[in-house]
Amino acid sequence: MKPTSETDVLDAVVAAVADETRLEIAGNGTKRGWGHEVVASEILDLSGLSGITLYEPSELVLTAKAGTPLRAVTAALDEQHQQLAFEPPDFGPLYGAAPDAGTIGGVVGCNLAGPRRIQTGAARDHLLGFRAVSGRGELFKSGGRVVKNVTGFDLSKLIAGSFGTLAAMTEVTVKVLPQPEKIRTLLIFGAGDADAVKAMSTALQSPYEVSAAAHLPAEQAGRSSVSYVSGSGGSVTAVRVEGPGPSVEARLAGLRQQLSGYGDLEELHSSNSRTLWAELRDVAPFLSGANDMIWRLSVPPMSGAEIIADLSLPLEFRHFYDWGGGLVWLSTPAGKLNAASRLRQAVMETGGHATLVRAPDADKRETDVFQPLSSGGGALTARLKDNFDPRRVLNPGRMYRDL
Amino acid sequence: MGSANTNMSLKMPEVDTSVVSRRDDIINRLRQIVPPGPLGEGVIDDPRALRAYECDGLSAYRQLPMVVVLPETTQQVSKILAYCHENGIKVVARGSGTSLSGGALPLADAVMIGLGKFNRVLEMDFDNRCVVTQPGVSNLAISHAVAHRGFYYAPDPSSQIACSIGGNVAENSGGVHCLKYGLTTNNVLGVEMVLMNGEVIRLGGKHLDAGGYDILGVVTGSEGLLGIITEVTVRILRKPETARAALIGFPQVAAAGDCVASIIGEGIIPGGMEMMDRPAIKAAEAFVHAGYPLDVEALLIVELDGPQAEVDYLIGRVQAIAERLGATHFRLSTSDAERENFWAGRKAAFPAVGRLSPDYYCMDGTIPRGRLPEVLTRIAEMSKAYNLGVANVFHAGDGNLHPLILYDANNEGELEKAEAFGSDILKLCVEVGGVLTGEHGVGVEKRDLMPTMFNETDLNQQQRVKCAFDPDGLLNPGKMFPTLHRCAELGRVHVHRGETRFPDLPRF
Amino acid sequence: MQTHFTSAQLQEPGIQTANDILRACVHCGFCLSACPTYALLGDERDSPRGRIYLIKDMLESDAAPTEEVVRHVDRCLSCLGCMTACPSGVHYQHYVDNARIHIEENFTRPWFDRTVRRLIAAVLPYPGRAKLAFRAARLARPFAGLLGGRLKAMLKLVPNTALGETREPTVYPAQGVRRKRVALLPGCVQDVLRSGINDATIRLLTRLGCEVVIAPGTSCCGALTHHLGYDAPARDFIAANVEAWIRELDGDGIDAIVTNAAGCGTVVKDYGHMAADDPALAEKAKRVAGLTRDISELLTELAPLKGVVGDLPPLAYQDACSLRNGQQVTAQPRALLSSVGFDVRELNDGALCCGSAGSYNILQPDIAAALRTRKAAAIGATAAQVAATGNIGCLTHLQVAVEIPVLHTVELLDWATGGPNPLAAE
Repeated sequence: MKPTSETDVLDAVVAAVADETRLEIAGNGTKRGWGHEVVASEILDLSGLSGITLYEPSELVLTAKAGTPLRAVTAALDEQHQQLAFEPPDFGPLYGAAPDAGTIGGVVGCNLAGPRRIQTGAARDHLLGFRAVSGRGELFKSGGRVVKNVTGFDLSKLIAGSFGTLAAMTEVTVKVLPQPEKIRTLLIFGAGDADAVKAMSTALQSPYEVSAAAHLPAEQAGRSSVSYVSGSGGSVTAVRVEGPGPSVEARLAGLRQQLSGYGDLEELHSSNSRTLWAELRDVAPFLSGANDMIWRLSVPPMSGAEIIADLSLPLEFRHFYDWGGGLVWLSTPAGKLNAASRLRQAVMETGGHATLVRAPDADKRETDVFQPLSSGGGALTARLKDNFDPRRVLNPGRMYRDL
Repeated sequence: MGSANTNMSLKMPEVDTSVVSRRDDIINRLRQIVPPGPLGEGVIDDPRALRAYECDGLSAYRQLPMVVVLPETTQQVSKILAYCHENGIKVVARGSGTSLSGGALPLADAVMIGLGKFNRVLEMDFDNRCVVTQPGVSNLAISHAVAHRGFYYAPDPSSQIACSIGGNVAENSGGVHCLKYGLTTNNVLGVEMVLMNGEVIRLGGKHLDAGGYDILGVVTGSEGLLGIITEVTVRILRKPETARAALIGFPQVAAAGDCVASIIGEGIIPGGMEMMDRPAIKAAEAFVHAGYPLDVEALLIVELDGPQAEVDYLIGRVQAIAERLGATHFRLSTSDAERENFWAGRKAAFPAVGRLSPDYYCMDGTIPRGRLPEVLTRIAEMSKAYNLGVANVFHAGDGNLHPLILYDANNEGELEKAEAFGSDILKLCVEVGGVLTGEHGVGVEKRDLMPTMFNETDLNQQQRVKCAFDPDGLLNPGKMFPTLHRCAELGRVHVHRGETRFPDLPRF
Repeated sequence: MQTHFTSAQLQEPGIQTANDILRACVHCGFCLSACPTYALLGDERDSPRGRIYLIKDMLESDAAPTEEVVRHVDRCLSCLGCMTACPSGVHYQHYVDNARIHIEENFTRPWFDRTVRRLIAAVLPYPGRAKLAFRAARLARPFAGLLGGRLKAMLKLVPNTALGETREPTVYPAQGVRRKRVALLPGCVQDVLRSGINDATIRLLTRLGCEVVIAPGTSCCGALTHHLGYDAPARDFIAANVEAWIRELDGDGIDAIVTNAAGCGTVVKDYGHMAADDPALAEKAKRVAGLTRDISELLTELAPLKGVVGDLPPLAYQDACSLRNGQQVTAQPRALLSSVGFDVRELNDGALCCGSAGSYNILQPDIAAALRTRKAAAIGATAAQVAATGNIGCLTHLQVAVEIPVLHTVELLDWATGGPNPLAAE
């Protein structure tokens, strides 16, 4: 089904509730591979709900229908030198889809966040309000169009990252911010994982407002299209600063001083910086073995490298770090599921979580995609699902098999 | 004699007399769970002593709690809640009692849990850039605890000197630096929370984002309706290298509004951008002596922070904008002490208004910034019509408006007039595309106005979240929602499929 | 804030004052952060706002004070941190003092409590009696284990150093050209416990060209009895002092009345308010109050001081509450100490009271000790080698738990500018 209006969406869900059928919720379907297979009788394709309905640059706010292509949003923002500051990644290519094809609703539904997460937050932090049809077949809204709003429960947080399992979004309102005048990246060459995490922590504890910090082990660095990165032959740690020109220069100088002990330094200017951070954001350029399982670990920044070291992974496992060490991307050959439980255990001990972002269907049937929940958290999650979608109409089983 | 209790215009859930009649048993059980300590008492039941807990920062609404208990450990909180859950007893949590929306207003048949004894910072983890703290620690105390390493906790509600971090999470508190650094929800990494059934759960931690549903996100700002927070992990930031604030005075409010829009329009996001009108300037100046100009209609405080080079560069641009728009006063802070003094006046502006009037009623609507001049004009007209003074304090950067309605509760009928005035202001905020509350919470104060923003379906869906946490509705009932539905009723699915179904819906 | 007094109640001046003060309070809670007992106990009733409310209820209901209310009012240190924090201008000091008098007049304390309080009021303000009591206390120390908390607390406070003599009225001439003539309030127990403070004050002032007068007829400032709620004896002390200084003023004249015990200074500066309802004294009390200066304020007028000692130890400065909150004197002592060469270090939670608070450490030994422990830790964290404060009470109280010497600001200033080294005597 491809509804073209909110009423259509409502109607489709109402019908599904009545018929006790199940719906898979999708935008352009670029990230359908994220999550368990959904067993549904029909796809509710929201890409027909497209268009920016409100954009007021001076108010830093934009409203768009859920199926609006992300590139349309970005293009409108570019004209006003504004941006979605959380740098939504383009994961399409990771799943074999065409690049640049995702929708704004998909960005929110997966709670995407790029390297700037550590400074500016994720989609959850930029979603001001939304309209959606719940699994009860009811159209509801939450939030508003202003940044500061505590009127009622913050359902925006709940809906962001719920992968269409609570409601089918029809419209989202997001906060937008000015683009930085200037971007620079400081590269550190040759640091091992542990030292790189220390270097990134030093940078992030400095007063220089670092907007991103990532580390590529030698093999991943070699895959970058930025010659300064790929040509170094070793590992590369990257630290980004953005802002008005004079400020960027001053901060870079400060960072150079603080980080000189970690290895040789190099600077990337705007264009190369944009390329490198887009690669890091989108992940695929570094971990694209077509059949590999891809893991995304969110952990305390100082723990990422420790987990990787403690697991003493075999050589064919590849990884890199973003978010100052707090985000670890890891690819493992398909079928290596015994590593999965060790990984999950290690991550759990830090309080963080591991998501199996991509895997062959066979593997996903054998393991959980999302970090298994504690008994309390699991029960609460089930009750939340019950209260939005009691008949399990929307994306059943996508996050947790029994929900 | 004695104080009037709950204001009559406010309906609270009906008192459960079967609970009140068991009061002695309840007190005894609570004393077993929280025995008296060497220095203080764990359970407060004397009616005269309970008086101290009858209201929070919104003193217009008052109610004696049935009993107050002051636990010191998560385990005690868990036992109290489990006991109350088993026995159908309502519970209201209280931090420092600084809420301006009556979020901690007691109920006659509820146990009030005061979290003042949870007052220790547990861990400062600079490498992971976070602090783990008990919920009763004040917002400012967190910044003080990490100041020696040059760090701070960014959200800074004006009551930060006193308000507790647990309360900040419950209310999703904002502050004067929100535009650049976000609200509480953008700065909380994790909590330990006790559910109404006594179960202790942990949400988040030192990592970012949730592995499943973002339950932490919905708990933040849930006004004590979903659980009681017993531990909080917040992210801390390194203090900017420099910060300077400018006082910019304008002869008209509209020009100040234009200045705000132009600054943001030029792509500058200041650390803080605040506006005060003439009465607010006068009151704040009387307390702090910050050197505010007293001959302007609107005063902006614009703070720029970052490396010296950035601050100098941006100040130049802000000054040029201000001059172009006819500012009559422009003064830059020359030291940190002076800058803090600029803020001290702003942060104390609400209570300082207590110097102009015995009581004030603080509104908290957010509006699209561009509508400011129009909204202020209409507020001034209402002020005349109601014959009540008003002072305006405005988080100009993010559109959060705080009109302070001046009244005297000792004059009969004035509180009611102030309430009506306030409700008109909030309706106006919604009318121009804004919201009822930007950072103070709905509480009891804006509860009955919720339908101006949300229809019944919207509100019911919110209440269903409550049902997932507290199906019996025992936690802080009477707040946020104008009508309480039973969860069983809310859970029913009404299939209303029929003739409206679009037969021509394109299908695969 | 809304109040509910009847018009008949509002005829009473005490109630009228309380009403006026209450009306300024907007219940914002900013004061909680500045309250040492709230920091320690986390109970609204032990916060300024809670006390304001409990007292309001007590006064409005016209009923006898309950034990409950008395307990929480008694726990108040009168440090007045809340007044510094209050944006609405609530005069908590006058409000709580009023309540104390109300309690003393309308509440019968248990026998032991009454006795201790009377004992304090009958002994401490009189140097001769105090000295005898301290001697007796030293003898009793070996038996401290047998005694209750309050008596034990009293014994702990008695220093091991030699007890000083009572200072007789006299005039200390200025060295060199006389710049000012000032009257010094020597304080009641100060000279007995630590005569070095007044000695240093006099040395420093005379060196800076001041003639220092101990006026005949001056005695205790009245603070101790006043804070216990004993109105009549407090008024006698006030009258005696006011008359003594007026004689001096109208005689050879004085430029300032100087106090070096911050607790006394706060009360003397408030004489105008305290004697306002006494027509015979009101005007004179106002004059006296207007001329009163803390020693650090006077020294700032006489500055610059010239430091002559190199290599001074790093110093932790603890504000005496009566100086910080009662008199808003915070910058001057720090500036003076820095100017003569000390590295002045700030304490974490520096604004919170150390627990001394006049006779509080005797009456509320557990809370006082807990606050002292916190303060000692904060002082320890600065790694300073000497601590300074501007009040004899804080100094004696802190020294029990603080491992480095705790001295009066003026002793250190005297040393750094040419006086004897007070650390040598320690």
